Amino acid sequence: MAMPRGLMMKAVVLAAGEGNRLRPFTVSRPKVMIPIGNRPILEYVVRALASNGITDIILVVGYMKERIMSFFGNGARFGVQISYAIQEKQLGTAHAALAVRDQVQEEFIMVAGDNIIDAQAIADLLGHGDGMAMLVTESEMPSKYGVVHIEGGRVVDIIEKPDKKVGNIINTGIYRLPPSIFDHLEKGVMAGRSGITHVLHGCLPKIKMEAVRSTGRWMDAVYPWDLVRLNEYAFSMAGQETSGTIEAGVTMRGPVHVGAGSRIRAGCYIEGPVSIGEGCEIGPYVTIFPTSSIGNGVNIAPFTTIDSSIIMNNVSIGSHSHISRAVIDDGCRIMTGLSAPSGLAQVKVEDDFFKVERAGSMVGEFTQIGPRVVLSAGAIVGANCRVGDGAKVSGTLEDRSIVV
Amino acid sequence: MCGIMGYSGHRRASEVLVEGLKRLEYRGYDSAGVAMVENGRLAMVKRQGELDVLQGALPRLEGRTGIGHTRWATCGRPSDRNAHPFLSCDGKLAIVHNGIIENHSTLRKRLEAEGHHFTSETDTEVVVHLLEGHFRGDLRQAMADTLKEIKGTYAIAAVLEGSEEIVAARKENPLVIGLGVQENFLASDVTALLSYTNKVLYVMDGETVSLTPNGVAIFDSEGAQVKREPSLVSWSAEDAQKGGFEHFMLKEIFEGPNAIHNTLLGALDLIENGEVLPRTDFQSVKLVACGSSYHAAMVGKYAMEEFAGVPTTLELASEYRYSPGARETPLVILITQSGETADTLAAAREARRRGCHTLAVTNVVGSTITREVDEVLYTRAGPEIGVAATKTFLTQLVAMYLVAIRIGYGNGTLSHDSMRSALSSLRQSSNMVQSVLNRTHSIEEASRMLDRAGHCFFIGRNINYPTMLEGALKLKEISYIHAEGFAAGELKHGPLALLDATTPVIAVAIKGDHTYEKMLANISEVAARDSPVLGIGVEGDTDLGRLCERMIAIQPVEPVFSPLPVTVALQALAYYVARRRGCSIDKPKNLAKSVTVE
Repeated sequence: MAMPRGLMMKAVVLAAGEGNRLRPFTVSRPKVMIPIGNRPILEYVVRALASNGITDIILVVGYMKERIMSFFGNGARFGVQISYAIQEKQLGTAHAALAVRDQVQEEFIMVAGDNIIDAQAIADLLGHGDGMAMLVTESEMPSKYGVVHIEGGRVVDIIEKPDKKVGNIINTGIYRLPPSIFDHLEKGVMAGRSGITHVLHGCLPKIKMEAVRSTGRWMDAVYPWDLVRLNEYAFSMAGQETSGTIEAGVTMRGPVHVGAGSRIRAGCYIEGPVSIGEGCEIGPYVTIFPTSSIGNGVNIAPFTTIDSSIIMNNVSIGSHSHISRAVIDDGCRIMTGLSAPSGLAQVKVEDDFFKVERAGSMVGEFTQIGPRVVLSAGAIVGANCRVGDGAKVSGTLEDRSIVV
Repeated sequence: MCGIMGYSGHRRASEVLVEGLKRLEYRGYDSAGVAMVENGRLAMVKRQGELDVLQGALPRLEGRTGIGHTRWATCGRPSDRNAHPFLSCDGKLAIVHNGIIENHSTLRKRLEAEGHHFTSETDTEVVVHLLEGHFRGDLRQAMADTLKEIKGTYAIAAVLEGSEEIVAARKENPLVIGLGVQENFLASDVTALLSYTNKVLYVMDGETVSLTPNGVAIFDSEGAQVKREPSLVSWSAEDAQKGGFEHFMLKEIFEGPNAIHNTLLGALDLIENGEVLPRTDFQSVKLVACGSSYHAAMVGKYAMEEFAGVPTTLELASEYRYSPGARETPLVILITQSGETADTLAAAREARRRGCHTLAVTNVVGSTITREVDEVLYTRAGPEIGVAATKTFLTQLVAMYLVAIRIGYGNGTLSHDSMRSALSSLRQSSNMVQSVLNRTHSIEEASRMLDRAGHCFFIGRNINYPTMLEGALKLKEISYIHAEGFAAGELKHGPLALLDATTPVIAVAIKGDHTYEKMLANISEVAARDSPVLGIGVEGDTDLGRLCERMIAIQPVEPVFSPLPVTVALQALAYYVARRRGCSIDKPKNLAKSVTVE
């Protein structure tokens, strides 16, 4: 077991970035605070470290840092000690890592805070060999990541976001590193290299970096629709308990989590895995299908169906709505009769077009949607939009758009 | 107010005491001291100033039993001499005390005549000399005899040389015991105990306590031993630390949304099942509070009349308790964050004496007020360390809305549907607060308008009139800028005369509120006197934007709930102004967190 080793090791978690490809969900939170399975992504990382006995954690924070600090505090709630290092400007991961230079004098673990991982991933890294190591994994979409070349168990090259197929083993952004790495990072940053992989790429011939294959889980969201997939996956890791009030005549199958102070009214049909947060009011007669997570303080009115969706905090959804594979951010108010189906769609993000299967709609925070609105598959509605009665929305709406 | 800490066990007492006193810093203090049993004799160190000064003056002490104190001067100015603990003439006994000994001057004359030598100007010192006079080998008996002679309020802890016993007593001042393994603790507040234990025993008025490493015995005023089950505190020590934030106040401002959420948990059950106020047929309601809580009560009055249609009056606790009581209301609601505010406690007793039904709104489970009233509604904000109330104020507002909605639903003013929709809007308000916090950089920018101000006015109407009073209070208490809140309609009855280009005015106008146009007119009046206006309004409100030099925008919100986001914007505003001025934000001068003296 790697427990004793972890006990002495510090972990540095990079959590300063915005994650602008995940807009509108990062308009007012950093990527690491997006809720998946009703927990911020970063919480999975902290828990994975804690279960390996790594309790001394430094979070490098920057963009919207207060959201992270007010959620994690000093870590006592998670049985760890968290301190914070601040990266004032988001100038890349290498620059971010340098923010902890004064706080790390021994071999340490460095983890990207914006990927969901489980305890096994960290255990693999701790359990293998000595010295510098990188956790690698297989990926179906290697072109989004750093693809690594491995020879004799060593990483010999990294190709960041390759255009052509060069292999499917990618860097997870989880490393075991000696403090001397900071010298390399500093030189790299001075030379204009902003990312850690970019810096490593430059010094791989000189340093010995072991490749450790992960047998645990590692999952990333790059684009908004990835969140739905991530959410499905997170349910395999979630616990389940039922508090709150479940009225008579509610059917719940499979694991259904209901938080304190929530009320599920009569006639609801909930097929787990489903997670419902605290202080919600659901029903009567609401249907929730598997792998949906409903945040805190959500109201869902009668005869509405929710399927494989992420509904964040304090959203209110009117009656007779149908919502499939959608992500709906904090504080949205949706009147009656919303139709938001999922299906094959072409979606545009930052001037790139993507063909996405089973794409639902994405709705940014505080958006208000009038009665009888249709959101086409793959529609992205920005934050603070107003969509008027009976409108049909497809494609992408900028923040603060008004549709009449 | 003052803080007490006591320890008897296996650790170095001096370390436990200083650590515990640090956690009581939020109560405000001007001097601190400790006394402990060191090699069988008493050692005492006390200093005016911060705990760091005391810590610097402490030699390495090995004693395992001791008492400590942070003092907030009431009788006798802040000084080394007036700091607690106090020793008896023979140096064998030491005590610390919170509260006021009313008959101290008569007692002092008598004790001096008997040959006791006094070292300070405090009322407290008489206690140790009385104790010395009564001591015949049993410290607890001596304490019981001493208490018979003193008039006033107190939490007292005493130690004796060569002994590992601490004896304590309380009357109308908080005192709680922490239970450990072969060690036991004593403090004014559970926050001081949380790093060691979450198992606590609350001491009641009139009781005395004997505490040793191996056990705690509590006795009633007749001397009979009392059996009491320990309570488990769910707050963690983490709650009392800064977690990456520069100041407790900023941390607590950012905890607002979660505090609101926690206070709202189970709101529906509360209201639909009548878990608070099962009876709601009150013809009128009175709200009683002090300080920030009084501003929450003012918002409560508007909410009560809006949701429940019940005539509601307000009174400051310090006035209510001495009022003639000619027109009693059937329901009196008392609001106190700490549950220990002396005037509010006295008002609660007075209200019950007058035959009113009493409901307390407080943040501290097991606090004194919870034992003085018929019903309690807890705000679940968690501990607040910054002296300026921030998240606890927001949760008091939420509690006011909940009570108003409960009474409105109970008396038929609100239908089931409108009750649910009001609750839904209230839940969304925690997001509105979060949204304000997501844009604090723009508030920080806007706050520069106040940097050079000597005076500053806050104006609002309707339910945001009290919000602006609270905004002015926040600014003056932490930035020391003179700030006044006014109902905007009152400006032309006087305050307008004070306006000029050097006096910024902060004005709130929420589009959709029926006083919105009137507010715009008032803002024009202000602008016409060249006062720079900082407006607070709904995003995209260009009519307001045109009249103001700068504007802080909040999400569109139902006007009745707008005090929540507006308040948090004003809290952040005060914070940023005070930070640039280099003020002691978490511990403003001359102020204390919970005012346990009258």
